[in-house]
Amino acid sequence: MKKVFAVVLAGGLSLAILLGLTGCGGSGDGGSAGGGDSVTVGLLHSLTGPMAISEKSVRDAEVLAIEEINAAGGVLGKQIKYIEEDGASEPATFATKAEKLVGQNKVATVFGCWTSSSRKAVKSIFEEYGSLLWYPVQYEGMEQSPNIIYTGAAPNQQIVPAIEYLIEQGYKKFFLLGSDYVFPRTANMIIKAQVAAAGSETVGEEYAAMDQTDFAAIIAKIEAAKPDVIVNTLNGTGNVSFFKQMSEKNYDASKYMTMSFSIAEEEVAAIGANILKDHLVSWNYYQTTDTAENTKFVAAYKAKFGAGRVTSDPAEAAYDGVYLWKAAVEKAGSFDVDKVLTAIKSGGISFQAPEGKVVINGENQHLSKPVRIGKVGSDGLINEVFATPSPVAPDPYLTTYDWAVAANIKPLE
Amino acid sequence: MRRFREDTPLLLAVYLVKNTPARRPNGAPAWSRVLIDLAQFFNTVFNGLSLSSIILLTSLGLAITFGQMRVINMAHGEFVMIGAYVTYLTQKLFLAVFPESLFSVYYIVAVPAAFAATFLLGSLLELTVISRLYGREIDSLLATCGISLIFQQAARHIFGAQGVNVTSPKFLSGGITVGGCTFSYNRLFIILFVALILFAMWFLLYRSNFGRQMRAVTQNRPMAKCVGINSRKVDNFTFGIGSGLAGLAGCSVALLGSIDASVGQSYIVNSFMAVVLGGVGKLLGTVLGSSVIGFSGIAAETFVSSSIAKAIVLLIIILFLQKKPQGLFTIRSRALDE
Amino acid sequence: MTKLKNQAGNLCFSLIIIGLAVMPLLMAAGVAESPLIIFLGKCVAFSIVAIGLDLIWGYTGILSLGHGLYFALGGYGMAMYLKLRATHGAITEFMHTGGLTALPAVWKPFQSLPLTVLSVLIVPAGLAYIIGYFIFKNRIKGVYFSIISQALTWAAYSVFIALSPYTNGNVGITEIGSLAGKIRGSANQGRLTLLFYVSLAILALIYATAAFLVRTKFGKLLIAIRDGENRTYFSGYRVSRYKTFIYVLSAAIAAVAGAIFVNFNGSITPSQMTIAFSVNMVIWVAIGGRGTIVGAVIGALLVNLCEYNLSSGGMIEVWQYIVGGIFCVTILFFKGGIMGLFREQIPAFLRKLKVRGGQKVES
Repeated sequence: MKKVFAVVLAGGLSLAILLGLTGCGGSGDGGSAGGGDSVTVGLLHSLTGPMAISEKSVRDAEVLAIEEINAAGGVLGKQIKYIEEDGASEPATFATKAEKLVGQNKVATVFGCWTSSSRKAVKSIFEEYGSLLWYPVQYEGMEQSPNIIYTGAAPNQQIVPAIEYLIEQGYKKFFLLGSDYVFPRTANMIIKAQVAAAGSETVGEEYAAMDQTDFAAIIAKIEAAKPDVIVNTLNGTGNVSFFKQMSEKNYDASKYMTMSFSIAEEEVAAIGANILKDHLVSWNYYQTTDTAENTKFVAAYKAKFGAGRVTSDPAEAAYDGVYLWKAAVEKAGSFDVDKVLTAIKSGGISFQAPEGKVVINGENQHLSKPVRIGKVGSDGLINEVFATPSPVAPDPYLTTYDWAVAANIKPLE
Repeated sequence: MRRFREDTPLLLAVYLVKNTPARRPNGAPAWSRVLIDLAQFFNTVFNGLSLSSIILLTSLGLAITFGQMRVINMAHGEFVMIGAYVTYLTQKLFLAVFPESLFSVYYIVAVPAAFAATFLLGSLLELTVISRLYGREIDSLLATCGISLIFQQAARHIFGAQGVNVTSPKFLSGGITVGGCTFSYNRLFIILFVALILFAMWFLLYRSNFGRQMRAVTQNRPMAKCVGINSRKVDNFTFGIGSGLAGLAGCSVALLGSIDASVGQSYIVNSFMAVVLGGVGKLLGTVLGSSVIGFSGIAAETFVSSSIAKAIVLLIIILFLQKKPQGLFTIRSRALDE
Repeated sequence: MTKLKNQAGNLCFSLIIIGLAVMPLLMAAGVAESPLIIFLGKCVAFSIVAIGLDLIWGYTGILSLGHGLYFALGGYGMAMYLKLRATHGAITEFMHTGGLTALPAVWKPFQSLPLTVLSVLIVPAGLAYIIGYFIFKNRIKGVYFSIISQALTWAAYSVFIALSPYTNGNVGITEIGSLAGKIRGSANQGRLTLLFYVSLAILALIYATAAFLVRTKFGKLLIAIRDGENRTYFSGYRVSRYKTFIYVLSAAIAAVAGAIFVNFNGSITPSQMTIAFSVNMVIWVAIGGRGTIVGAVIGALLVNLCEYNLSSGGMIEVWQYIVGGIFCVTILFFKGGIMGLFREQIPAFLRKLKVRGGQKVES
C-alpha cells in the first residue's frame, strides 16, 4: 500500500513541478514589448556547445550596443532590457528558444544566430509569428525573408569582390577548400562560375568534415593539384588545424596563398599570427579600420570585455544591428514589428557604423556596405590592402552579375 | 556547374575514383613520373603513420582504463582537452616570466606538467566517482558522460568560450624536405613520442613490480588482495596513468589543431573504435587498431571526401567486428561473460 | 491490494496525460501561450523515444548510444513528405543548388502520405533489424554494443552531411508545416490542439503497448536477458531473436517519435542524429528511472521542461553543471532515478526513521 502511495505521490509531485514550471514559464515577461518604461529584446546565440567559440563575441557586441544605447537614453525614451537564450549549437534548440522568445516572452525583436542551419531552423518561426530577427553573419545568400534583416555580407559583398581581386592579381588556378556544410558549398558554386567566366581554372574542390582534425590527406590533394591560390571557406576549428598543419609542411603565404572568408581577428588569435602572416581575408570590417566610430567601438569593447579581446567583422555587424533596429524603431515611432518593417521597407535606415555608413536596402533587407580585402599582419591584426571606393549594394541572388545569371545561379521560381 | 543525375549514387564511386588527385603533369618523362609517384607514396605512408600515431596516443589511456580496469571513460576526450590547456598555460607562464630566448623550452616543461595535471585529476576522479562503479561497466560509461559535460563547461568558464593558441616551439616548427616529401618535425616527434610511451607502458605493465600487481588485480581481484596487494591503490594509480596518457596526447594535439572546450569530442569515437578493434586488454591490439583506422582513413580520404571516408572506415570496422567481436587480439579466457 | 500496487505506474501516467491534456484548454482560455503547447508537443515526442529506449536499456540491458539515428530517420521521412507537400511535389531549393534537375528516386515515395507513414516505420525498423540481427547474433553486448552504436550513428551522420544534394547537409529539411497545416500563431490554435491531442493519443497507445509487453512472459524474458543472458541461453531461449525484436520495436518507436517531433519543430536536421542528442535521451531515462515505463516518460518531460525554463539568462552557464551533476549523481547513488527514489529510497528511509522512533519508545 505504501509503495503504491509513494509512486502515485511521485507522479503527483512531478506533475506539480511540471505545471509549476510551465506556469512560471508562461507568465515570464509576457507583454513587456511595449509597455512600461522599458522594452525587451531577445538575444539568441550558442553559449554552450562547439559554436560557442564564435558566437560568444557576437553576443558580447550586442550587449555592448544595448548598454551604450541605454546609457544614451534608450530607444523612444525606453530602456532596453534583454532576455538571453542559449541555442546550444543545435538548430532544434534554436527553434524552440526562438519560439519561446517571440511567442511567450513577446520580445520586440531578436538578435541572434550564427550558422546557416540555425538561421534556417528559425526562419519559418519568425515568419509565422510575424516577428523580427537581426542576423549578424556573412552568409551564402540566396535568401530573403521578410522577417530577417541580414546585417552581415551577402555573397556579392564578400566572396565575389574577393575573387575579382584575386583574378586581378593574376591568380589563375584556384583550389576550393571548405567545411562540409551549406555556406562553403553554395559559396564554391558561385566561385566556380565566376572563375570559369573569367577564364581561370578551378583545379580542385574539397570539403572537410566539421570536426576534422587531420588535414594531411587534404593537404596532399592540394599539393597534387598545384593551385596558385586556395580559396578557404573552412569554418571554426577546422581553420586552426588546417593552417597549423600547412605550416608544418613549411607552406606559407608565398608558397600557397589563401583567401579566407571565415577568418577574422579572433580566429587569427587562435591560429597564431606567425602562421597566418600575409594570408588574405575578405570582410567588410577589421579592427584596424580607420574611422572615428571604430576607434570608439574598439575602445569600448576592450574596456568592457578585456584588453586581450579583439573585435571582428561579425561582432561589428551584430553591434550595427542593434543600432539599426534603434534607427528603424525611431523612424517608425513604435516598437510594433509591422510598423518597424514598414519603416525599413521605405528605405533609408542607416547607421554611421565602425565600418563606415551602412544603409538597409528596403527591398532585400540586406545592408549596403564597403568591402575590404585584408592581409594578416605579424601582430595578429588584419590590415586593409584593398577597399571598394564606395559601399556595395547587396545582391543576395547575384542577379546583377552576368556570369551568375548565365550559370543559372538563382533560386527556383 | 556540376549536375547530379538521378542515378548519381550508383555512379558516385566511379565518379570519385575518376576525380582522384593523382593527376600527373602531362608530358613529363617517365622516370620523373615514377619519382613523383614514389614521393606521393611515401607522403601517404607518412601521413597514415602520423594519423595512426595520433589516434594511438589518444587511445592508449583508454586501452589502460578500459582494458585493465573495465571502466569506460567517456570523459577521456576531456582529459585530452585538459592536457592541451595545460600546454597553453605553460606557454603563457613562459611568456610572462622567462626571457624570449628560453621560449621553446616551455614545451619540454609542458609535457610533464600535462601528465602530472591529468594524472592528479584522474586520480581524484577515481577516488570520488570511478571507485564506486567497478563492475558496472555501463554505469561507468554514463557517469563519465556527465563528468564530460561538467569538464567542458568548466573549461569554457575558466578559459573563455573562444579557442586559444599554442605556438610550436622552435625545434618542432616546420619540417624537413627529403626528395619532394616534407616530413614535419612535429609529426616525427609524435611518432617517436608514441614509440617511447609504448615502450614505457610495456615496461610498466610487463616488467615492473607495479605492472605485476596491476595485472594481478585485473585477473583476479580477491586473490590479489589475498597476497597482500593494495588493490585500491593499484586502481587509483592505474586510472591516473590512463588519464595522464590522455594529457600527454593533449599536449601533442595542441600543436596540430584547435584548443577549445569541445576539442576532446573529436577524438573520442576513433579512440574507442581503436581499442575495441584491437581487442580490449592488449597493448599490441590497440597499436594495430589505431594503425588500421589511421591508414585506412588516409587511404579512403585520397579517393573520397572526408565525411564519406570517415563513414566508410567506421562501417568497415563495424563489419569486421561482426566477424571477430572480440577484436583483433583476444585474451583467451574460459570465463563465460568475457 | 496487489492489483492496485501493479497499477501505480499506470495511475501516475494517467495523471501526467491528464495534466498534459489540460494544457490546450488553458491555451484556449488564454492562460498558456501556443509556444508552450508546441514545446510540450516536442516533449511528448521525447517521451515516446524515451519509452523505446527504456524498453531496450531498462528492461533488456542493451544501452544504445545512437538512438538518435532512428529518431532522425523517422523525422526525415515525415519531413520529406511535408516538404514535398509544400513544394507540390517539385524539387526543392537545396536539390537545385546541389545540381539536381529532377526529384531523386529516394524522395519519390514521400509524395504520398500512406507510403510516408509506411516508410517512417519500415526504414528505421529495417535498418535496426539488419544491425540488430548481426550484432546480437554475434553476441556483441554490453559496452561493446554501446560503442558500436555510437560509431554507427556517427557514420550515418557523416553520410547525411556528405550527401547534401539529397539531404541538404547539416541544414536539414526546413520550412515545412505540420500534418495539420500551420500551427503557429493565435489564428491556428485549433490545428495545434488537434495535433497535440493526436500526439498525446499516440503516446498513450505506445505507453499502453509497452506497459502490456513488459508484463507478459515476453517482458519477463527481457528482464531475464538483462539479468543473466547466458542463463537465458541455457534455458533454451534464442536470446538474439528476442533482443533483435525488442531493438527493432524500440527503433520503430523512436522513428514515430521523430515523425511527431518534426510536426512540432517545423524542421529536422542531422543534429538529431548526433551522439550528443542520443546521450541526452539516455540521460532522460536514467533520471526518470530506467526499468519503469512511466519513469522514462517522467524523465523526458522533467529534464526538458527544466532545460526549457532554466537554460536562459544567467542560468545558461550553470545549466550544464546542473544536468551533468544530476546525471552523475543519479548513476552513482540512485540507480532507479526519480521512480526508484520514490519506490525504494524514500520508503526505506521512512522505515528507518520508524524503526529508530520505535526504539526510542521502547527504551
